[in-house]
Amino acid sequence: MSKLKYESPVIKKMNAGLMNKFGTRTEYQPLKHIDGVAVKDMIAKYGSPLFVLSERKMRNNYQAALRAFKTRYPKVQFAWSYKTHYNNAVCNVYHQEGSWAEVVSGFEYQKALKNGVPGNKIIFNGPDKSIDELNEAIKNDSLIHIDHFDELYTLIELSEKAVKKPRVAIRVNMDTGIYPLWDRFGFNYENGTAWNAITKIVASGKLNLVGLHCHIGTYMLAPWAYATAASKLCDLAWHAKNQLNNPVQYIDLGGGFPSANTLKGAYLPGSDTVPHIEEFAEAIASTIIAYGFKPDELPLLILESGRALIDDAGYLLGTILANKRLSDGRRATILDFGVNMLFTSFWYDHKISPAQDFTHHSEDQVLYGPLCMNIDVIRESVNLPLLNKGDQVVVHKVGAYNMTQWMQFIAMRPNVIMIDMKGETHLIRQKETLQYLEMPEEMPLHLKEFKL
Amino acid sequence: MIEKKARFIFEGVINSYAVLFFSNHKVFSYLLIAVSFFNPAAGMAGLIAVLTAVFTATTMGFNAVATRSGFYSFNALLTGIGFGSFFESSAVFFFLLILAALFTLVLSVTLSGVLGKYGLPFLSIPFIITFWIILLSTKEFSNLGLTQRNIYWINEMYAVGGKPLLNLFNAIENIPLPKWLSVYFKALSAIFFQDNILSGFLLSIGIIVYSRIAFTLSLVGFFGAYLFNEFTGANQAGINAYHLGSNYMMIAMAIGGFFTISSVYSYLWAFLSVPITNILVISLSKVFGVFLLPIFSLPFCIMILLYLYFLKLRVFAQKLVLTPIQHYSPEINLYQFKNGSERLKNEYYFKFNLPIIGEWLVTQGYDGKITHKEDWSKALDFMILDHQLKSFSGKGNALENFYSYNKPVLAPGDGYVQEIVDYIDDNPIGEINREQNWGNSIVLFHATGLFSKLSHLKKNSFIVKQGEYVKKGQVLAYCGNSGRSPEPHLHFQIQSTPYIGSKTLAYPISYFYQGDGKEIKYKTFSTPQEGSFVANININKLLQQAFAFQPGYSIKFKEGNIIETWTVYTDAYNLTYISCKENNAVAYFINNETVFYFTNFYGSKNSMLYQFYLSVFKVVFSYMPQVTIDDVLPLSIVKAPIVKIIQDFVAPFVQLIKPKYMLNYTSIDDEYFTSEIKLESVIEIDVMRHKRIYRTSQITLSNGRLNQLVINEAGKERVFTCID
Repeated sequence: MSKLKYESPVIKKMNAGLMNKFGTRTEYQPLKHIDGVAVKDMIAKYGSPLFVLSERKMRNNYQAALRAFKTRYPKVQFAWSYKTHYNNAVCNVYHQEGSWAEVVSGFEYQKALKNGVPGNKIIFNGPDKSIDELNEAIKNDSLIHIDHFDELYTLIELSEKAVKKPRVAIRVNMDTGIYPLWDRFGFNYENGTAWNAITKIVASGKLNLVGLHCHIGTYMLAPWAYATAASKLCDLAWHAKNQLNNPVQYIDLGGGFPSANTLKGAYLPGSDTVPHIEEFAEAIASTIIAYGFKPDELPLLILESGRALIDDAGYLLGTILANKRLSDGRRATILDFGVNMLFTSFWYDHKISPAQDFTHHSEDQVLYGPLCMNIDVIRESVNLPLLNKGDQVVVHKVGAYNMTQWMQFIAMRPNVIMIDMKGETHLIRQKETLQYLEMPEEMPLHLKEFKL
Repeated sequence: MIEKKARFIFEGVINSYAVLFFSNHKVFSYLLIAVSFFNPAAGMAGLIAVLTAVFTATTMGFNAVATRSGFYSFNALLTGIGFGSFFESSAVFFFLLILAALFTLVLSVTLSGVLGKYGLPFLSIPFIITFWIILLSTKEFSNLGLTQRNIYWINEMYAVGGKPLLNLFNAIENIPLPKWLSVYFKALSAIFFQDNILSGFLLSIGIIVYSRIAFTLSLVGFFGAYLFNEFTGANQAGINAYHLGSNYMMIAMAIGGFFTISSVYSYLWAFLSVPITNILVISLSKVFGVFLLPIFSLPFCIMILLYLYFLKLRVFAQKLVLTPIQHYSPEINLYQFKNGSERLKNEYYFKFNLPIIGEWLVTQGYDGKITHKEDWSKALDFMILDHQLKSFSGKGNALENFYSYNKPVLAPGDGYVQEIVDYIDDNPIGEINREQNWGNSIVLFHATGLFSKLSHLKKNSFIVKQGEYVKKGQVLAYCGNSGRSPEPHLHFQIQSTPYIGSKTLAYPISYFYQGDGKEIKYKTFSTPQEGSFVANININKLLQQAFAFQPGYSIKFKEGNIIETWTVYTDAYNLTYISCKENNAVAYFINNETVFYFTNFYGSKNSMLYQFYLSVFKVVFSYMPQVTIDDVLPLSIVKAPIVKIIQDFVAPFVQLIKPKYMLNYTSIDDEYFTSEIKLESVIEIDVMRHKRIYRTSQITLSNGRLNQLVINEAGKERVFTCID
């Protein structure tokens, strides 16, 4: 028998509940394996902390989302949102499944091209597109989603010299009955700016208006808001067809579908409150189908979902560095990963599971990262079993945004691995080194040397 | 005007000859005329009689098509030849000849009316009746003498062709032929009341030229009679040259290849009909012998009429098919029928789509083991399954967990909403409602006697109303779990009556994908199989637009300096065709909004239109890179004459030459916003399992139309470009 673990005794306030001969229990289960691969083995092989992505989960999510839409609407296309996760291996999983690319910057655009996405299957969004980037997008016949009039005028100018007529769509913002109203992107629907932009495009004769785009928000919990958005885009499409004789070929509802993470301040866990992707599909598809287009004239429906397809396929594995008592008596656990790599801990109360067996005692505690910075708090208060130095934990649902918004602050970024369909692990991004970090740095001559 | 009429009469006369052998082959006609003049008086009398009949029929305004094809006058021809063969020419002779010709015409027209009602031919009955009447009556006409020319025919021959002809004739008669062969030739010549090998030989050549099938059938008739005679020991009763020719061989040709589509079965019937005819010949000869009347081809006529009427009354005729459209050639009849039944049979179906969006599993197909039984066996159940073949996510204890639940259900075809039931609650998972077993249902009326029904729909989910007209693909309601349904699924059936509980009707789905998990197949006019995943095909707008070919549409193609202008027309039967302005070539096509295909081509095979006809023989308006569209081409595209002749001989039994058309979708620039598609079609000719690529063509569609055709035939490349 191995030596029993020592857990320092603690005095807890008595919470009167029903008497239970097993004592109080936590809801926690240890998570020892991900897709059949032991957490311990992965940490042993790739170090800690470590990001783990499940290819199986990504493909399942994609297929479920596609099925939800494709069994309701005849023409559906997903475009992988690069900003959510632009690791090439991850992008290619979605491209293999049939996804196009949705990019919001020049470097994402280049990444998509390098991954082998044909130019005409890249959607170029965002308010910042340089002249060169626009020219390249025109040359590649990409779908350019115009964000503002200045961009629209630039495009008209560029089209004079272009060989191909640029294919464009406008981003529309609108009141869908939710807060906040994202009116900083695109052209407003209610005040007529969107229609104004459409007529300008058609009247110019220089641009080919092929689609309409909106992206009403992020982590949306209201499927009906999408029904409103779809209906307003259909209005514009209908008028573009009947008044301007310019039928649009697609309607792009963007993304914003939530994952089952729990938002900070939410009363109930996300897994209980977040609507299923089927509900979003139902709201969107039934609205467009019922709008009145002929069955063979229905526009293509494009979706740019990112988070809902990848968030729960990502895990962050970490190790306990230490634990201590705070001045007010609370327990604090210090982990080897912090907000520098788990950016989403600013948004979510991430679910965290121990990766090994534990006793039935649990305690409310603060989870700190390793940074020498006060803001480095992973969970402000979470009831967890008592974790000791060297114990391992798994953070759930970290696939979206973390590996694009992480930073080299105090610590560098760790290894990222993917578990493939057969349960094999593959390193898809090496942990950063000092050499990598200093690669772009330049040293002026007069600063080369110093004496202390 | 007169010239036109003379031309018309001329054609009527010429055609009357070949019709005797169920043909409209011009060369064969001229040969028959020549052979008839081997007995100059008979030949002359025949010509006069035909002329009289055609002239009268034309002048009196009988059906022009029938008159011109020789249909009314071939009996007069027989009467004339018979007249010339039996009687000595004189003034009375000519008078009676013309009278007899007119009488034959009257009988022909009358019988065509009487028998036509039953869809039966009058055959040589007018000739037989006329000749009987003549024979019975002329015994009283002392000025009309029986001729002896048939006995001294060598004199006649000499009179016509002099010594050379006579020598040729003698030479042929003296060729040491096997007995059966000389009997065969003589039997053929006896159809023209002659008795010589040369005529028979020429006739047999004529028959081969006209039809290889008819020729083999004449052998079947000949040997059938011969064998039967040997078998019964009938001592040649009923086996004289005339009966061999006019009854046995003719009946074999008529039954085996003309009135029915040639096949093993038609040959078998042809063979079996010979002994029966033989019995008829013997027995009828005894009856009519009393009146000293020859029975001529009466047994043939009786047999054919019986045979045809007998076959017509069948309810279900799959083998031994009566010729649907008469092309006056056993080969053409057979090839057209085969090609048509392989290619066009589906055009008559009402075109149903699957009532679903996306990919669904057929959980229960026709004759399913669970509920698709007895009168309700021809139905389909659909359900959505995920990649783990589960029908639900989560725990699967709520309707909302099921992928099929609340999914749109589409109209499978255009039609009126006949009936809606929308008051039955959806069952909780695992429970069924046997009281109202169909659950919420909708019945659509598509055509008289053709309804479709969708069941187990979600309560209060109907988007359409009773009496409303719905278009194919329109959302009707949502899938639910009402009625006899333990978990959400969709029941779909076609029926011939409008009720919710109507029994099912087996009816194909026109175009769909079917996958078994390994590969996806494109299916046409078939029934989705249980256990397979199915989905509707997606129509590609560019393909549909490029092949739209509305009447009045015109397109120009250029090859080098040559330009052809093709314009689309519709004819009186609402058939669409493309006509080339420069060379009058015509290509008939069908466009049913899902598929474009050619049905026929007439005109020069050097035209660009012909190349176009071969290149896009069939195109489905869906971009399917993984699929090969194939089709059967008519034999007429094959150029090798010897192989074709061999094929004709064995056509009823085996098809040696199989020209196959295959179309592949090679590239597309964008699946949704298509501006360019490339197709490649290949024609492969399979001669006795030796496959050979005959030609390939690359077709480029862009700018919403057909843009370029690159054809490669026998190493030669031709490029057609579309110009405005």
